[in-house]
Amino acid sequence: MSSIALASKEKRNERTDLPVRRRDARRIGQVENHDTLAAKLNNLKDGDTISVRVKRFDSSRDAEAHFESFAVPYSKWMRVLDVLIYISDELESDLSYRWYCGSKMCGTCAMRVNGREVLACWAAAEPEMTIEPLRNVPVVRDLTVDRQPYEQLVLSLTPWLERGSPYPGFPEPFTHKEMKLASKALDCISCLACYSACPVVGLGDVTNFAGPAPLVQVGQMALDRRDSMDRARDLIERAGIFSCVSCYRCEEVCPAEIPIVSGVIEPLKALAYKRLPEELPHQNAFLKIIRRRGRIDPSELVMRAQGLLLLRSLGRAIRLLLRGKIDPIRTLFGRPIQDMGHIRRMFHFFK
Amino acid sequence: MKQLKAEVIVIGGGAAGTYAAICLSRLGVAPLLISKGFVGKSGASIFAGNLVLSGRIVGNTEENARDTAEFLIKYHNQFLIDQEYAKRCAQWIAEIYYPELEEAGLYFRRDNQGNVVTSPGRIRSVAANVQGNSGIPFMDLRRKQILKAGVPVMEEVAVTALLQDETGAVCGVVAFDLSSGEIFCVLAKAVVLATGYSDRLHSRSTGTREMSADGIAMAYRVGAELVNLEMQWWHTNDVRFPANWQRMQVYPNPMLGSWKSARMVNADGEVFFNQQEDDPMAYGPYTVQLKRLVKQVRAGKARYDGNYYAGFDHVDPAEVEAYTSYAKLFKQLGLDVGSQLVETAVSAHYRQGGVLVDPATMASTVAGLFVAGGIGGHSNGLIGLVTYDGKVAAESVARYVESKTYSSVSDESVPAERERLEALLQPLGAEGVPPIRIKKMIREVMWEDVGVEKNAAGMTRALEALDRIRAELIPKMGLRSLTRCFNHAWADAIDVLNMLDTCALTIHSALNRKESRGPFIRTDYPDMDNENWLAQNVLIPKPGGAFAFRTQPYDLPYLRPGFSRKDNLSVEW
Repeated sequence: MSSIALASKEKRNERTDLPVRRRDARRIGQVENHDTLAAKLNNLKDGDTISVRVKRFDSSRDAEAHFESFAVPYSKWMRVLDVLIYISDELESDLSYRWYCGSKMCGTCAMRVNGREVLACWAAAEPEMTIEPLRNVPVVRDLTVDRQPYEQLVLSLTPWLERGSPYPGFPEPFTHKEMKLASKALDCISCLACYSACPVVGLGDVTNFAGPAPLVQVGQMALDRRDSMDRARDLIERAGIFSCVSCYRCEEVCPAEIPIVSGVIEPLKALAYKRLPEELPHQNAFLKIIRRRGRIDPSELVMRAQGLLLLRSLGRAIRLLLRGKIDPIRTLFGRPIQDMGHIRRMFHFFK
Repeated sequence: MKQLKAEVIVIGGGAAGTYAAICLSRLGVAPLLISKGFVGKSGASIFAGNLVLSGRIVGNTEENARDTAEFLIKYHNQFLIDQEYAKRCAQWIAEIYYPELEEAGLYFRRDNQGNVVTSPGRIRSVAANVQGNSGIPFMDLRRKQILKAGVPVMEEVAVTALLQDETGAVCGVVAFDLSSGEIFCVLAKAVVLATGYSDRLHSRSTGTREMSADGIAMAYRVGAELVNLEMQWWHTNDVRFPANWQRMQVYPNPMLGSWKSARMVNADGEVFFNQQEDDPMAYGPYTVQLKRLVKQVRAGKARYDGNYYAGFDHVDPAEVEAYTSYAKLFKQLGLDVGSQLVETAVSAHYRQGGVLVDPATMASTVAGLFVAGGIGGHSNGLIGLVTYDGKVAAESVARYVESKTYSSVSDESVPAERERLEALLQPLGAEGVPPIRIKKMIREVMWEDVGVEKNAAGMTRALEALDRIRAELIPKMGLRSLTRCFNHAWADAIDVLNMLDTCALTIHSALNRKESRGPFIRTDYPDMDNENWLAQNVLIPKPGGAFAFRTQPYDLPYLRPGFSRKDNLSVEW
């Protein structure tokens, strides 16, 4: 019910703490590295030629994809989408690419430019561009992909609020602080840039990892204090959340600047662990080792987490041993790190 | 040819269509939702910046509630609205809409003390999380509600024609699947048209890629009466470059949590509009800004396609950042939101008019055809209003289908529509013209002669140009590829014919309204004429492609303009 102007200094500090981009490491050096639209476009001036290679494929006709090249004259502040529109409108090509809003809202024009996932409507054109469709989703034609498998996956994770108690009426009492994590996840425009960039999703059936985008969709609900559904089992079994290796590739490409790993996946992991610790032997073993040694020991971790199952992959264990990746001697006789007091205090703190 | 059946077909996956489908399934009627794009991702609804409060919620006073009603009727509809409808709608928004959205999980931005953050003007609004982005989580929620309710959805499927039974009642559709090129027919007991109001008919427009006024054209072809098609609204400060950011707005109204707003500066660096000073009530949704711009253009200090600037250079950037998304475009362009301005231009925004409906039932003048949202000619489609329409349409459709059985369509109509569509899939000959080029030409004609300021001579010229396109270029239209898989050029060819019809009907309507009113500015009739034109400008289709006009004055039970005739540019709203 307030319409507070940002008056006092104190309040302002509290508020400016909110936008993640203030602390966003990706923005450091952005201007110096010519990474904003305008900075990149300083490389180009009106009338310059942009060389574009586009990957083309028609699932109803072609056995294999091929590249086609186009030359596009640069015009002021051109983005990737403007280049594509030029190709279809002026060069009258039959290239297929998807876009609706053209202004970072609908999230349908994600694609890969020079190997990196971008929204075509938001990324600057570059003098030389290779444009390819997203990975990890079926390509239907040229840059247009089939979103259905992703939609089905999200649907299977019940991405809606389930209230445990009756709705108290508008406006219900809670603060922005309590919604901070969920509210970042709510910025998701499901463009699938992160889904394409994720190396674990890229492994295919090796893991059952649902991928960053579906987890952000779950996070919108699971991190909302009003949601009372028990999502832990789904997160572990259906979404394979612990297969995430926290490599931050998803965060790096997210056009909505959602802290996907630190602000969504890690809190969801914590939520799952808190609820079902007994089902997570790997995480338990990890904690145990750190508690005892102060640092991780790979062979002990594998032995504790897998137990007798390890016998099934004895061959691999031997290979690891021969390459010096595991060291049983250190596992048996290695000493803890020097200042274990810090570690103990950390455990105490997080308790 | 595939023939399906659905009790009710809802055409359009925006705020109105999704809510109509949700309400229909709550009422035990089985809807099929067909969307030309993606449900909740395409169209105008995701652009909703913030959500206007009505009634006495979130600290709204009696006075705030009255001001909101005035805002809606006077400023936002220039009195071309059924005031009783406005009243019902406002009550529903206060009592049902907000609680229902929040219960379903929509997050209205709070501060750290737990208060809902509002804009401070006399017309107060809230945001779903961030001002400027409210439509995104709003429509994402609707998408999930549709999926949760198990409503069958067809996406990237364009309805190309409405089908009629022997009595003339609408009883189904023919549709075109962009992903496969499949053409099929769906029979239904009733159809809800919810295709939106913001089409891409001008060179610069806020309408998105797929919006080609199909709804108006299809409704017209089955004989539905249309109203106030000429009432075109404009965004005054959309970014000029890059070319396809033309729907990226530097929002001129106060920012959430602050009285501050963007200001506009002409080519000589003179500020010519600042909401805080020039329209402190924050009443004028674009009209007041537009009128100021017209004066600048006439003085040679701005153009409708650029050479004037907007921004927040007088505001602390922390304020822009805290609750709005408006800083993002500055950042992306490498501009400093706290000290720099961005060049802006006008874009055609929404069409106030549309299909004539009875706002109590959302029924059109054709049996079996109901309307929800911006496509209706009853009001300007704020997202709350169009949602209300979805509910009203669903309720009257549920009553309508109760006693209704599926009717059969005539033997010829479906194959004829299919043949028409297949005939468009033809190779581009040596003299051929790709449909995208024709789309571009239509938009240029509209921008040139049916833009912000118009007159009879220019509009007549535009009609002649459209006739030439129809006669000379349409027969030569051809496609570079004949694939059936995502053949966008084929979809463009279908769009072109809808665009031509809607543009011509719009121009005829504009020629018929012999006055200026709000954003409808005629240089040959500069006065707002409440004596003769505080009225519906109804276009009545006649057999053989002809049409006639009828004017129908509005009742004014609550608010009146207070003068009978005045120079439109001197009217302060």
